[in-house]
Amino acid sequence: MQSKLIYVIFAIVVLIAGVLIAISLAPPVANSGGIPHPDIPGMQAGGDGAARLEYIGNLAFAFQCLLLGLIVCLCGLGVSARRRSRELMIYMGSSLGFMLIVWWQMYSSHQAFLESGTTAYFMGFPIATAWQVYGTWLGAIPLILIYSMGFRKYIYTPEDEEKFDSLLAERKVAEQDQAGKQASGPQ
Amino acid sequence: MEAYRQEIILGAVVVYMLFCVLTGLWAMKRTKNSSDFFIAGRGLGPFVIALALFSSTLSGFGFVGGPGLVYSVGVSSFWMVVISSTGYAIGFFLVAKRIRMIAELRNCISLPDIVAARYKSEAVRFLMAVTIVLGVMGYLATQILAMAVVMQAILSGTVMFADIGLVACVVISSAVLIFYCVTGGIIASVYTDVVQGSIMMIAGTLILFTAMSVFDGGMAEATSIILADDSEAIMPFGAAGIMASLGWFFVFGLGLAGQPHIITKMMMNKNISDNRIILPMSLFGYIMAALLWISIGVVIRAAVVDGIIDPLALPDDAASVFLSVFASPLLAGIVFAGLFAAIMSTSDAFLNIGTAAIIHDIPKAIRGHSVRNELFWARVVTVLLAVVAASFALYSYYADATLVAILGAFGWATFSASIFPVVAIGLNWKGATVMGAMTAIVAALLINFIVQLAGIVLPYGISGGLVSFVTSLLLFIGVSLLTKPPQLDADIESVLDI
Repeated sequence: MQSKLIYVIFAIVVLIAGVLIAISLAPPVANSGGIPHPDIPGMQAGGDGAARLEYIGNLAFAFQCLLLGLIVCLCGLGVSARRRSRELMIYMGSSLGFMLIVWWQMYSSHQAFLESGTTAYFMGFPIATAWQVYGTWLGAIPLILIYSMGFRKYIYTPEDEEKFDSLLAERKVAEQDQAGKQASGPQ
Repeated sequence: MEAYRQEIILGAVVVYMLFCVLTGLWAMKRTKNSSDFFIAGRGLGPFVIALALFSSTLSGFGFVGGPGLVYSVGVSSFWMVVISSTGYAIGFFLVAKRIRMIAELRNCISLPDIVAARYKSEAVRFLMAVTIVLGVMGYLATQILAMAVVMQAILSGTVMFADIGLVACVVISSAVLIFYCVTGGIIASVYTDVVQGSIMMIAGTLILFTAMSVFDGGMAEATSIILADDSEAIMPFGAAGIMASLGWFFVFGLGLAGQPHIITKMMMNKNISDNRIILPMSLFGYIMAALLWISIGVVIRAAVVDGIIDPLALPDDAASVFLSVFASPLLAGIVFAGLFAAIMSTSDAFLNIGTAAIIHDIPKAIRGHSVRNELFWARVVTVLLAVVAASFALYSYYADATLVAILGAFGWATFSASIFPVVAIGLNWKGATVMGAMTAIVAALLINFIVQLAGIVLPYGISGGLVSFVTSLLLFIGVSLLTKPPQLDADIESVLDI
């Protein structure tokens, strides 16, 4: 609880805010948020993908890297400081690495498509989108495994359970004392 | 079977609604006090909690608005779905254990109860309760309107109810919702959630297989048709662009741990240790149900681009057009029941937390104690809240949509921005202060209100929700670091250490 993790989280949020400001100040692009589809009313089109990323591509990439870092740090904050062992940090760091790889593969596949105009398909989607759909979904699975399989080691240990049970017992005694005093009334 | 399509759909929906009514009657016998009414006496098993969690997460927006968004902006909206694994992970790491511990230790029955115990502040409780009430009104009004519109579409296709009006549909659908929420409280809600969640999973899976059979080349052919028309629409950032997409990742991912109707359910499980299996089960259920969002959206966009069907009058028609053109009557019946399930499972959760805020938290924050006979007033206020929300919905539909649109701004993004820092970080950091919490909540509400009212459009598709979320995080941590660390109660300090 007394660790410096909150400062790391704060620093990441400050950097995210800075990236958002930089993106807001970037030269505007007509189709940055989509344009009406030329033939079908009610449908939006993306248009020229390279133009949309020309000024903000690197910033957006950095934004997502920071966000993934923030996600893993927040998960770490959810673990009691006493349980943030070296082993857990390695697991968390590996989870972040996995998420960053998925993000990099998605972004670079999209870049490759923008350059070549061709793409392979994987399980129904163009490669870049497949990284998004399957990769992002699977990207957080290591975190879920750490939570579920490491529950008794990092999240809620038998020692934690004992401590909480004793807290409940203390509370019950205090409530009974209070009720007793109220029942006996003023002396 | 095709000749009886409307009757089969209607039959499926009627069976589903009868089930809800019967569950309400059954749960009434188990609801003996306000703790039973609001948090099911903290006695629910992992399977029930898991299904209740994910079915509350995926509302009518997911079943109607989701496919409509894919039709409209392509893959951009996938980011709201694929973030679910990250969102659930953050929610469980940050909230599930400690909210459940404080709930039992302090006999809390609502989220504002939890923050009041954590911060030792009635002001924070009041702000949290007001935020919840405002959000609930907006959410409920839109859900009730969606429910009525779908019901009208189903009934008007039959000979007997061909001329049925929207008001009658609002009355019928709200009556079922009110009945089981009033009689059985949260117990009825979570047990209907079990069936609602199961229907949603079945619907999502069946729809995926149906969608894959629309084109001979399956999903790959559908996506290649979209690619040939507008490649960006089927690439990872969709038509809405990279910052809109990543903004949704941020707001929907982190924001899940700030949704009061979801995290309140984390207070209801019998054993804290059950969280280890609730997390993967919830995620599995959500993924199965969300298949509907992705598969209908992609296939309908491809079918329109390919000229198989005409352009939709409204993007939100995507699901109903898919069902009428590509699905068998039986599947359409299951999915329409699933649609009502999605809407009702979210609505009942909102009715529950809204009622708790009105009869329990706001009086406690102002007068120091809740109303007498909480169970009776909980039932009365549940009815009133639903009636007011239904009235808002009808007013919005027939007269002026502004009010509901403003309240609608208090949706997911506002809850994320105002509640996530205060609850998710506050339960894990002793240095969080009352001033930090209040500043974050007020800033989140103001930014979302101003962006909505002024119609501000930010560059590169950056959303107001993203800006308010980042700002509230900055203010919460920054102001807390600058203000004097609080003196926590001993038991709360112990919980934060565990």
